[in-house]
Amino acid sequence: MALLMQTFIPQRLATALAALACLLTTVLPPATHAATMNTAEKDPLNSFMWPVHRERFLGDAPVVFDERVIVSAPGFAEDSGQVPLELDASALEASGEPITDIIAWVDLNPIPRLFRYSPMSHGLAKLSLNIRLEQASAVRVAVKQGGTWHVGGTYIEAEGGGCSTPGIATADTGWENTFGELQGRLFAGEDEQRLRVRLSHPMDSGLIPSQPAFYVQSFEMLDHQGQQVATLDIEASVSANPTLGLHMRPSPGGYVIGARDNNGNRFSIGLQP
Amino acid sequence: MKAHFFVSLAALLAPPLMASEPVMFCERPLVAQPVAKNTWMVEGLKEELSASNCGHIGNQAFIATPSGVILIDSGSSPHFGEALKTLIAQHSSQPVRWVLNTHHHPDHFFGNAAFDEAQHLTLTTTRALMARDRDALIDNVERLTGRSLERSLIALPDAIEAGDITLGSYPLTLYAMGGHSGGDLVIMDHATGVLFLGDMGFYQRTAATAHTPGLQQWLEELSDLRALDARIAVPGHGPSAPSDTVLEQTAHYLTWLDQRLSDVASEGLGANHALTIELPDAFSTMALTEYEYTRSVMQLYPRYEARLLWGAPH
Repeated sequence: MALLMQTFIPQRLATALAALACLLTTVLPPATHAATMNTAEKDPLNSFMWPVHRERFLGDAPVVFDERVIVSAPGFAEDSGQVPLELDASALEASGEPITDIIAWVDLNPIPRLFRYSPMSHGLAKLSLNIRLEQASAVRVAVKQGGTWHVGGTYIEAEGGGCSTPGIATADTGWENTFGELQGRLFAGEDEQRLRVRLSHPMDSGLIPSQPAFYVQSFEMLDHQGQQVATLDIEASVSANPTLGLHMRPSPGGYVIGARDNNGNRFSIGLQP
Repeated sequence: MKAHFFVSLAALLAPPLMASEPVMFCERPLVAQPVAKNTWMVEGLKEELSASNCGHIGNQAFIATPSGVILIDSGSSPHFGEALKTLIAQHSSQPVRWVLNTHHHPDHFFGNAAFDEAQHLTLTTTRALMARDRDALIDNVERLTGRSLERSLIALPDAIEAGDITLGSYPLTLYAMGGHSGGDLVIMDHATGVLFLGDMGFYQRTAATAHTPGLQQWLEELSDLRALDARIAVPGHGPSAPSDTVLEQTAHYLTWLDQRLSDVASEGLGANHALTIELPDAFSTMALTEYEYTRSVMQLYPRYEARLLWGAPH
């Protein structure tokens, strides 16, 4: 049942989305003079939701579209419940001041925000995870450096092939059996330690009637002394069984990854080089 | 010389060919290509389902026997099935009495309704998959071709056991496999040496992997099929060719795919890293390689991670 949430019903969703767009346009004040001054050049992905989300997520800070924020994904979603997304802003990071904040969203998802990543002292500006895609949409990642948001993005078509059966081929009705399993591996390199972790969790969004929201809200990365060195907050637009690729500065004692869901369940795993 | 010419001319004009108007489907002529004695195939376009091909993307084959025509796969709509029926009637005066469906994907059994006087047969495993996925697959075909289907016409065939069977008086050998879809019927005609692969074999069109239980199983079954020493193979997609050629190309691609996914997953990289890999030149003659490879990465990558990183069995 948990995985049914991925099979959003198009009509219902379109209605919900229209309502959401409507709500946002009425609730948010029209762009003020100050906001207009901060408007970046034309949205390269030409999405009508760009001005709305820019104001909502990035506020009044200056914004530039920047090709050094590389967002990779397949051009289309084979299974709209599991679309692999990857961020690489290492070229931007190498150019100067530290990265302080990273926000990602899907323009046309009912829950637009994907994650907010604070790399803090040890996180590098690279990340991968799987996302849910309600319909064909622009996907954005905004990386904050020196007070300016550098924005990259990609466009993903939400359409599988003729013999794919989303929600059937992948439905895992026995999720309770593996719930809460947190698995991980650390791959040590010269300049970074690559962490790959997977948490068994249904990530129920609460958008399906009579199915309460039940999803992982945050991950934190600790060094071997228990010091918090990076945090990642996620929303239910991240796929079931969140699988993260994290890139960290080398830590001789490795890392501990902790996670918490909205019901207060806590999970953690230690990873050594 | 002259006499020979007249004999040829007479042969050309002999019924039923003389009466043949080209059968049109989706504004293209539907063509039956001879494969062996009394055996023809109809080759689908090497494309994904779309409005411009009206769903004609899979192959069909038929064998004219003295007691009726045996049809292997029926296309992706009852409307296509009707055109196919007209085409078959140009090559045999007998009706289609048996339809064998190789697997549960829509381009292989959605045309069955056009042959309502025939017996429709498939493997037990395939029938169960048809029951499981039928509604989702109807939605897909409607979405991708932009044409609606009458749901009640997409019926399930009867189940049949693998092994030697005789249809009318015509013997065939059926093999129950599963590498491509979980339930794959492969048919051997020992009389002509033709092997009807269904989607266990793709030729000059890259293999689709949406429902594979695992590439290893598929590869093992392909080597079993090689041992049959068939003369010619009719793949599920793409032209017919010597059996070894078809089986070898399918196996070559699947072996490469399996290796790439293993390599990237075992290094702890994400699925998008698998997509940055350049496709080998050897596959440049195959249609849809980039498209199918992208799909396969999304379908299969989590399984490779589960096995190689998280220690899941299989």
